[in-house]
Amino acid sequence: MLTTLAVAALALFALQSALVAAASALRPSANIYITIILVSLITAPLAALTDRFLLGETLARDGRFYLVVVHLSLGGFLFHFMTLPDRSVTLRILVEVLLAPGQALSARALGERYGVKTMITSRLEQLSAARFIEISADGRIVLAPRGLAFGRFVTAGRKLFGIASAN
Amino acid sequence: MIRLLVPLAGFAAFFLLSLVTVRTVQPRQPRLFFLAYAIALLAASAFVYVRIWPLESVDDGVGLLACLLLQLLMCLTMWNAFYSLLWGFSGGLVHDLYNEAELRHVDRLVRSYERQTGLDRILARRLPGLEAGGYIERQGDAMRLRWKGRLIALGTLAAFKTFSLGMGGGVNRLRDASAGRE
Repeated sequence: MLTTLAVAALALFALQSALVAAASALRPSANIYITIILVSLITAPLAALTDRFLLGETLARDGRFYLVVVHLSLGGFLFHFMTLPDRSVTLRILVEVLLAPGQALSARALGERYGVKTMITSRLEQLSAARFIEISADGRIVLAPRGLAFGRFVTAGRKLFGIASAN
Repeated sequence: MIRLLVPLAGFAAFFLLSLVTVRTVQPRQPRLFFLAYAIALLAASAFVYVRIWPLESVDDGVGLLACLLLQLLMCLTMWNAFYSLLWGFSGGLVHDLYNEAELRHVDRLVRSYERQTGLDRILARRLPGLEAGGYIERQGDAMRLRWKGRLIALGTLAAFKTFSLGMGGGVNRLRDASAGRE
């Protein structure tokens, strides 16, 4: 039974990954995280109907419910997995070295290819697009209500965990 | 549905153990503790589940799988929030903007990350860790990937292409494209 369950979980994860990859290829500018959530939610009812196909027998109502929980949890893992290549500065540094001529890069050259100004400006643009902040033409930044709430959350979280210095 | 109380209890224990550890022990690598707690609590949850609901049918098996995956997901969510939001770059930016009024200007904010050494604050925090972890090595002025770093870089590059992520790293893909980086 455990092998069957593992194969079923792998199949559900592979299905969602393939659909997300296809959707991203069709609409590369779309937000990948919203794509994952939509794919996971839209295909959840289908997961409940795959019991005979994936597990070889019909599940009771509770069993189907848990199969949907499995499916949605796997979507959650895909969401978290995506933050690694999409957001991680560290992984981007490794890729920059891999793609550099001769696969060697000085810290200065790295700074030119993936520098602090590019990183900060891009993140500010994303925070602005998500309405966390507003940036005026002269470069002044104002925290929007959503940004204030996020600022409070991060500040409280760092205080809770005793994080003095980060990023 | 009552079975979902098992992963909820497992996650609550994970959160409390992690919080107490980070606050009292202040480990250099909290993720090692997170990993140990996550694995131990998954085993504990599986034990409790099977004691209460023995695996007599596939339904019970699916229930167990759902509970363990959900618990792992919640633990991973806290782990990711800790590193990405509280300790990460965007969270750090918003933290600075929220707490330091003088940084609420693009140029001043960028300057606050620059350092006289040539390495900015972001790279200065990451490169020593990558070197110590055996992901890169320094040969004079040049950095090169070691096998672990190469493997991860190749995997990351594959994810970029599979999921059309541009060049990742939190940089808007249009910005990368306009700079000829895709």
